[in-house]
Amino acid sequence: MAIAPADIRRIITPAAPITRERMRADIARMLHEDPEAIGGEDSLMDLGLDSMRAMNLVLAWSEGGLELEFAEFAETPTLDGWWALIRTRQAARGV
Amino acid sequence: MVSDPRAPAHPLTEAQAGLWYAQRLDPANPLFNTGQSIAFTGPLDRDAFAAALAQAVDEADALALRLVDDPAGPYQVVDPANRPVLDIIDLSGEDDPHAAAQAAIARDMATPVDPTRDRLAAERLFVLGPQHHIWQQRIHHLAIDGYGMILITQRVAELYTARLRVRMPGAPAPGIAAAFTEDAAYRASDRRAKDGAYWRALFADRPEVASLATGSLAAGSLATGSLAAAPSLAHGFHRRAVEIDAEAFARLRARAERISIPWPDIVTALSAAYVQRHTQTPEVIVGVPFMARLGSAAARVPAMLMNVLPLRVAVPSGVPLDDFLHAVAGSLVRARRHGRYRSEQLRRDLKRVGGQRRLHGPLINLLPFDETPRFEGLTSRLEVLSTGPVEDITFTFRLHGTDGLRLEVDANPALYPPAVVEAHALRLKHFIEATSAADRLDDVPTATPAEAERHLVTLNATAHPVPDTTLAALIERTMAAMPTAPALRFAGMTLDYAGLEARSRALAETLAAIGGVGDSLIAVALPRSFELVIALVAILRAGAAYLPLDLAQPDARLSRILTSARPRLVLARTEDAGRFEGKVEVLAPEHWPHAPLGLDLPQPEPGDAAYVIYTSGSTGEPKGVVIEHRAIVNRLEWMREHYGFGPQDRILQKTPATFDVSVWEFFLPLLTGACLVIAPPEAHRDPLALARILREETITTAHFVPSMLAAFLAEPSAQGLVLARVFCSGEELPADLRDRFHRTLKAGLHNLYGPTEAAVDVSFWPAGPEDRANPVPIGFPVWNTRLYVLDAAGRPQPPDVPGHLFLGGVQLARGYLGRPDLTAERFRPDPFRPGERVYATGDLALWRADGAVVFLGRSDHQIKIRGLRVELGEVEAAFMASGLVRQAGIVAREDRGTKRIVAYLVREPGQRTAQGTAQGTAQATGQATAIEPGIEPAMDIAALKADLASRLPDYMVPAAFVVLDALPVTANGKLDRAALPAPDFAGTGSRAPETPTERRLAALFAAQLAIDGPIAAEDDFFALGGDSLHAVALLLKVREQWGHDPGLGALFARPTVEGFARLIEAEGDVDAGLGPLVTLAQGEPDRPPLFVIHPAGGLSWCYGRLARALSPRRTVHGLQAPALAAGVATPGSLEALARDYVARIRRLQPRGPYHLLGWSVGGILAQAMAVQLREDAAEVGIVALLDSYPCDVWRGEPDPGEDGALKALLAIAGHDPDRLPALALNRAAVLAFLRATTSPLGRLPEAALDGVVRVVAGNNALVRGHFHRRYDGVLTHFRAALDHQGRDLSPDLWAPYAARIDVIDVPSLHAHLTGPEATARVAPVLARALAQADSREKVACATAV
Repeated sequence: MAIAPADIRRIITPAAPITRERMRADIARMLHEDPEAIGGEDSLMDLGLDSMRAMNLVLAWSEGGLELEFAEFAETPTLDGWWALIRTRQAARGV
Repeated sequence: MVSDPRAPAHPLTEAQAGLWYAQRLDPANPLFNTGQSIAFTGPLDRDAFAAALAQAVDEADALALRLVDDPAGPYQVVDPANRPVLDIIDLSGEDDPHAAAQAAIARDMATPVDPTRDRLAAERLFVLGPQHHIWQQRIHHLAIDGYGMILITQRVAELYTARLRVRMPGAPAPGIAAAFTEDAAYRASDRRAKDGAYWRALFADRPEVASLATGSLAAGSLATGSLAAAPSLAHGFHRRAVEIDAEAFARLRARAERISIPWPDIVTALSAAYVQRHTQTPEVIVGVPFMARLGSAAARVPAMLMNVLPLRVAVPSGVPLDDFLHAVAGSLVRARRHGRYRSEQLRRDLKRVGGQRRLHGPLINLLPFDETPRFEGLTSRLEVLSTGPVEDITFTFRLHGTDGLRLEVDANPALYPPAVVEAHALRLKHFIEATSAADRLDDVPTATPAEAERHLVTLNATAHPVPDTTLAALIERTMAAMPTAPALRFAGMTLDYAGLEARSRALAETLAAIGGVGDSLIAVALPRSFELVIALVAILRAGAAYLPLDLAQPDARLSRILTSARPRLVLARTEDAGRFEGKVEVLAPEHWPHAPLGLDLPQPEPGDAAYVIYTSGSTGEPKGVVIEHRAIVNRLEWMREHYGFGPQDRILQKTPATFDVSVWEFFLPLLTGACLVIAPPEAHRDPLALARILREETITTAHFVPSMLAAFLAEPSAQGLVLARVFCSGEELPADLRDRFHRTLKAGLHNLYGPTEAAVDVSFWPAGPEDRANPVPIGFPVWNTRLYVLDAAGRPQPPDVPGHLFLGGVQLARGYLGRPDLTAERFRPDPFRPGERVYATGDLALWRADGAVVFLGRSDHQIKIRGLRVELGEVEAAFMASGLVRQAGIVAREDRGTKRIVAYLVREPGQRTAQGTAQGTAQATGQATAIEPGIEPAMDIAALKADLASRLPDYMVPAAFVVLDALPVTANGKLDRAALPAPDFAGTGSRAPETPTERRLAALFAAQLAIDGPIAAEDDFFALGGDSLHAVALLLKVREQWGHDPGLGALFARPTVEGFARLIEAEGDVDAGLGPLVTLAQGEPDRPPLFVIHPAGGLSWCYGRLARALSPRRTVHGLQAPALAAGVATPGSLEALARDYVARIRRLQPRGPYHLLGWSVGGILAQAMAVQLREDAAEVGIVALLDSYPCDVWRGEPDPGEDGALKALLAIAGHDPDRLPALALNRAAVLAFLRATTSPLGRLPEAALDGVVRVVAGNNALVRGHFHRRYDGVLTHFRAALDHQGRDLSPDLWAPYAARIDVIDVPSLHAHLTGPEATARVAPVLARALAQADSREKVACATAV
């Protein structure tokens, strides 16, 4: 049976790999800042990131199927620290 | 358990410390157990699970903690022996394995854990079947928080899955030492100091914390629960879970995306707004759990790290929703930045330790991730059993799946009943769903659609047919239907309905001839009388509306009312005509025609005005409320049918006509054919007079303002009254007054509510003996009436949430006479019924879940004094008009249950007189300081009071005046009521009360007015804060203590301690107290009095206690020796003295029965009087002798002379002369001794004491010369059974002189027979004998007829 376009509620596409730049943009939006303002070694907490925002980011990045644990992210709240975690997980999945 | 003694000891972390002390305070509370259960469906590999769990437990040091309570402070060790071991429990053989598991889990969770002895954690796996398992974890809160529980669970899932897949799991989390190190580092850091400073600054203004619990409702405050009562930790909680609509949640997430705020923060903000809808405070403080892990080396460590941050959320109206969300999100970011500072520490910093001084209200907990663990090959379902004690109420939002959001409401059962928890779950769900599609919070209702429908429609479905007619027509119908029935009773006279018809028609013809029908006004200023009712009926029949005027009001106020209302005529007595001279024409009753001419009377229309009643106006100008016939007809017809009134009823009219309660008292009887019984003028504030009229006139229905009801119930003669119904209105009816009512009277009690602006009453509540409601509701709407409880924005409130009370329906007034501006302000369009009106009462109320409305107080500065409405603005305007003050702040203060008006004044610069003029009525207190050195600022308070009294009715004149340099104001310039000093009601007189009467009276003043400070002899009862209700209560006490009271008028005339004490003495103890006849107790007039005859000393005060102890109350008169007065000779014989006494009692009471009682010599006299009365063919009731013996006994003994007389005097004063051997028996020594005691004899003037000594001596002689005659009746002899040792004194000695002697032994000495112990024995027996004698008399009379 053919699917009518009207029946389609949600199209799930394979998630694009997460890049460091996307992470930087996502963090900047949460902080209402420009992406340039976020340095790789800057403490995100010092920039105003709080746990709820951090958790929201981790949840957003795991939507494509990555198994991310907030607690790990909480240990190293910097862009570089987080990028290292994401890169390891994506590598494990072969992305 | 053996632990490793070498294990290092760690101090508790800051997070643990708070819990530790809470747990030690409440060691039996199992809620310190946190726990969850996970139901697995699928093939669980039990071995793999056990191995995974063992490893996870091994990694998690928190589960191995052991607490040690050391004198130097608690500490903890990691004790491997304390690690939990998986307990596998096979329930697969049970009938219902699932239920068995649930029961076992519930039992385990309900078992308190001692952290110094028990394992902190338990791990249990219930086997329900091959495909069904439940894993329960229980961990003490000291070891874990919610996030830590998730970490452990996820780790078990990871290890299990790794085993099944045969792959390496991730690295374990660091040991708990990481958390301890982190905690110690933070404690020592600058960061902590900065965080603390941030929070202390944020809370520097000491904000009030409010919550949702309705248990601590304070009347008069819109705040729902100001957490006045400490919410103790319950050992369980109520939970209700609901699912947030998926589409609404999706909309919220879309908004979150759009405005770049995490959706959990949006839900937190909306939940805080929801809380604010209930507290109705400008801001709320909610608690927000904070995991304290971001950026921490202990981020992955299962441990107790969680903190609760107090979040201040201001909810302004009129702002876009997004602005509000941004503001709250900003606050949350800042709070989390300083979130590691412990809230327990902040409480200590702010000195808010203790249950009632909390930091935040409800907890809002957001779990923005799906906590359900993923176990390979299994479906898991997580249930969180407990996350720790629930202090107040917690709203938890849990994400489940990818886009499901569940709301769990957990609440302290001590504060929230299950139905309320359920209501909050549903209401918050609706609130969040409605907000998801709103642009402004203001557009979102608080009540759910179902609650709003029930409130606005269902509960107000009061439509009921009522004839569209007038009061005049209904009264005429009754008068025609039952002409011979009694219509009015007054002062023993009756007017039947035909008489009322004739007299009211005659007057109506005259009034109609004067002209003006339909809405023209005729004033009435008559005291309660037939004429008053005739006038009201006549005015209505003439087609006019009546305007009641109170002549007790000052001329200025009366003039303002007359100027505003412009009545055509006033019906008033000739002697009061002067009050109206030049203002309005007077028609006095003596000029009213009595016989009608038979003219046609104009017929009023249902829409015409029936009456206009003036009430206090906030601007200083009284407002005239215009009520139409249709409105009052609805009210009266409802009352007639609802309470089943009929011609058999007798309704008391006691309310002044200027108070609208009088409207139903006047007209309900005339609609039903009942009898209207008019109380005498002034009787409405005299409980004794009221009790008498209720009883004598067999009243079936009466009204009381609650404060007057309280005074009435205190009146002994009110005890046991039986009525069909008592109505209360005008003030709140306190629940304890309702209960006292039912203990005192036998009558239905009904609480009514309504403002003058809605035809007397609009709601009713049956407050019968079974009613347990507290507070007592004002109840449900009457016919064709609507009650709305709306919030400040006009939205209908949900049940139990305070709001502003609005009234709608047929009873609304037309408006304020000649004041369209004020009318428009209060009478507004009905927002829910186009084309109709509502009246804004200014009252705060809530509706209970059962639909009954509860009155909570005022939203403005209107107060009620004795049921009468007082606008503080009107009082203030009067002050300003006096020109004597520069500024006046008028407040109503309630100090220890007494509500009084207090004026805070700033004097006009030129107004200064010597301080002495204040006459004890003003105090320069508090901030009042001298402006010029040496000159105290003072104000001529007496002049000010006089001026006010010329402008305001007495009940509006403040009870206290406090002079200040300036009125304290709040930041926004309003009068800062909280900063006003309490008026010092303690008086300013300087002479301490001296005489016993003064001292006792001063104590009564203090007790009545709840004053701690000393009261001086010059202090004025009213200046100390007393009002007329206090005065009534005071008189009751005076009557109890002295057996009589000088009356209300006397207290008003002589209100000081010394002045009133003198009046009391003048009537009783000293002047009249030495007279031949004193009244020792006042009782029911229909009960024959008891006459008590003095003992040897000639005074009969000694019987005062006995007289007051008689129940039921009976009038007791004391006979005293005439020879007490100087220059009056003692009669020649005892027989002559008895003759004199008989003549006196017969003058006082011409007919018998005469009850007689005497102590000692008094008994001899009583017997002699009884003989003489019988000779006169008068009825003798009882003849009671208190330990008297016939004269024959004494005749042979020598006359004791003056020594004997002095001894007798001491005995009369209650002393045993033989026990006072050191006392010289001479007049000076005895007198000095008596003066030093509390005996009233000691207060006698010298001459009177001489009289007593003379009388004692005289009586000794009379007794020796008396020869008894036989009394052909019964003597009741109370024998002092402890006395007369070794003497042959027996009641039998009376045998020759009486038909019978009844002997009652009293374990007492002769000298103590009128003391408290003996009286307690004598009084009941005496009362019974008196009652028997009374009934015997009645039977005898009946037989004779």
